[in-house]
Amino acid sequence: MGKLLRVINREQCIGCYSCMFACSRVWFKAITVEKAALRVKNYAGIEGAFSIRPCYGCADPDCARACPTAALTRRPGGGVNLDPAKCTHCGACVAACIPEALQWDHERKLPIVCHQCGVCVQFCPNDVIAMADIPQETR
Amino acid sequence: MPVFKMLDIDLTTGRSHVTDVSDRFDRDLGGTAVATALLLVTPADLDPYAPEAPIIFATGPFSAVYPVATKTVALFRSPLTGNLGESHAGGRLAMAMYGAGFHVIRVSGASPFPCYVTIEEDQVVIHRAHSLWGSSALAAERILRDHEPSSYKRSIVRIGPAGERRSPIAAATVDSARHFGRLGLGGVMGSKNLKALVISGGRYWPIVETGKYNAFYKKIYDAVVKSPAMKKYHDLGTSMNVMPLSRINGLPTRNFAQGFFEGAEEISGETFATRHLTQHLACGHCQTGCIHMATLRERFHPEHHQFKTFKISYDHELIYALGSNLSISSAEEVLRLLLLIEKQGWDAISIGVTLAWAIDAFQAGHLSPAHTDGLVLNFGDAATCEKVLQRIARGHNEFYRDLERGVAFCSQKYGGKECAIAFGGNEAPGYMTGLYAYLGYATGVRHSHLDSAGYAIDQKALTEPKPDEVLTADLYQEAVWRTTLTSLVLCLFARNIYTADVVLEGLDALGITGWDDARLLAAARRAHARKLQYKERCGFRFDDLALPGKLARVVSGAGQVDPARFARQVAAYRDLARADAPAAAPEGPTPPAAGPR
Repeated sequence: MGKLLRVINREQCIGCYSCMFACSRVWFKAITVEKAALRVKNYAGIEGAFSIRPCYGCADPDCARACPTAALTRRPGGGVNLDPAKCTHCGACVAACIPEALQWDHERKLPIVCHQCGVCVQFCPNDVIAMADIPQETR
Repeated sequence: MPVFKMLDIDLTTGRSHVTDVSDRFDRDLGGTAVATALLLVTPADLDPYAPEAPIIFATGPFSAVYPVATKTVALFRSPLTGNLGESHAGGRLAMAMYGAGFHVIRVSGASPFPCYVTIEEDQVVIHRAHSLWGSSALAAERILRDHEPSSYKRSIVRIGPAGERRSPIAAATVDSARHFGRLGLGGVMGSKNLKALVISGGRYWPIVETGKYNAFYKKIYDAVVKSPAMKKYHDLGTSMNVMPLSRINGLPTRNFAQGFFEGAEEISGETFATRHLTQHLACGHCQTGCIHMATLRERFHPEHHQFKTFKISYDHELIYALGSNLSISSAEEVLRLLLLIEKQGWDAISIGVTLAWAIDAFQAGHLSPAHTDGLVLNFGDAATCEKVLQRIARGHNEFYRDLERGVAFCSQKYGGKECAIAFGGNEAPGYMTGLYAYLGYATGVRHSHLDSAGYAIDQKALTEPKPDEVLTADLYQEAVWRTTLTSLVLCLFARNIYTADVVLEGLDALGITGWDDARLLAAARRAHARKLQYKERCGFRFDDLALPGKLARVVSGAGQVDPARFARQVAAYRDLARADAPAAAPEGPTPPAAGPR
């Protein structure tokens, strides 16, 4: 049973984006938050509430179902794989992801697929996210 | 070496253009040093509110790239002091400027209509914003976040009504509860009819040497998160200073009448944390989360159980300025005042010190109920302080309109100069630890406790006494070193993590080569000397610096401060600065050849 990324303490998020920097750094060798396969959304004003949107590793991913060319395919263990050669850059996958976890790479015009590697977890200072054992039937 | 670009925006013509300024970063390192060199080429006699007077926002080579390099410096001519305006703010601004692809944004001109500017990479648009004019600094952000959606992380810099009124103590607010607080950037933005800047983009630097970069990053990350280096800031925050300072007679109380505040415990970091701390927030790419957000819940209907709740940030300076220095010993009352200040967009220290002066001057007979239109000003009277702030916001009469011009102006006009606690025209920060705190405020290029941390010298000297000349030299050296940190542009809370060796390692991991200790020092000395050159060009003179009269009588943490001793050490500092003045040469010495670009 593979582990999947989960938000375990949303209220402990301070909005540092360290997780997003880590993801971009490791998978794209890029110093940015904009290549990350998860998103920390912040709300207007000084309310300071954050909402973390990681890929949930769906067993039957809506994003893959929305893909007209099968560029996104179901990944064993949860989530999706991307075949960039098949992608027509239509963005239907991103639109299909209700939590808006699936991010769009504006530079390459491709979805940014989460590999469930957990590097974001390693760079979260406040235990907001974790790699969790998720039983198959609850995915 | 990475490429550094500057975006120029002329609000008068509506035009913008981009310049490669990599050579400037190669020569001067970045941030405050680069911005100072740019400010120096502006005409000497520009009024701070002249359209041609630029606002220069600058970041550095570490900005958005390493943890806690979260600040942006803003340079301008200060409408408060008439010389160098330099203020630093966190939030997401440095990250957003990096994403937009600019390490410098220079805004000049004045818009013929109220406007805000969006910058998304190379797309610069000046928008009409009559409907935003008059909105609070908090409302402006809410509205713009809705109105200007972006795929990228944004940063919003905006002013409140105080800036629109061109108050020289108006701040520019950045994102959630961060500010370019000091020296009047808000007024300068107001003079340009510029309500806000919205900045975003998806540009980035690729990692050049993965192993080197990642190893260095991890080292800094561990120091920030796992070592004690930042513990103070993500625990109680700077407000943990309140009680210890009071215990050593170092907490300004009732307009610096004494350093012990009998109500310190009620407004201490511990009390705020217990009763009101709701959440910590972080600046973009800082894992510390030092922004302390308090919640205040209030019943607003006398008969019904109807409540309102607001969140507001606090720290030591705010607690001092609206708490002990006004003799207000209620955390709730401090928070209520802060909310008003946050909405109007004043610098909290400056408006707080000006309120304290007004009370002092009222009690000394310089002000009367005729000035205040009936209000009786007393220390400890938060309700009246709230009314005073509301009257300033409404421009109730000439006296209230004057109050938002700062304490130097008011004391010049109404009297009570000896109780006007300002240094170089800037209202004093919240440490009355002794001579070196005051000396730091006076001699610091931005008249801030952060210029040279004199308060730390005072406290160290209590246990390790040294001759004044040695301590003044220490103060000067600290001011110069901090110029390196603010060129990078780091949050100074991380100053103990980013030592010179660490800085050099970090530069190397980015492929920025050719730097060593000597060159870092030379660049810092050059930038520091240039700041003083700019200040003196605007009329600043070390010899004009004086200890506010009241402070000569008050016993500080390190005892009474003799004005003659203060003057001697100002002169000693001046001489140290003069010895470095040649370093300010127009373009500075030619640096050794840098590594490959």
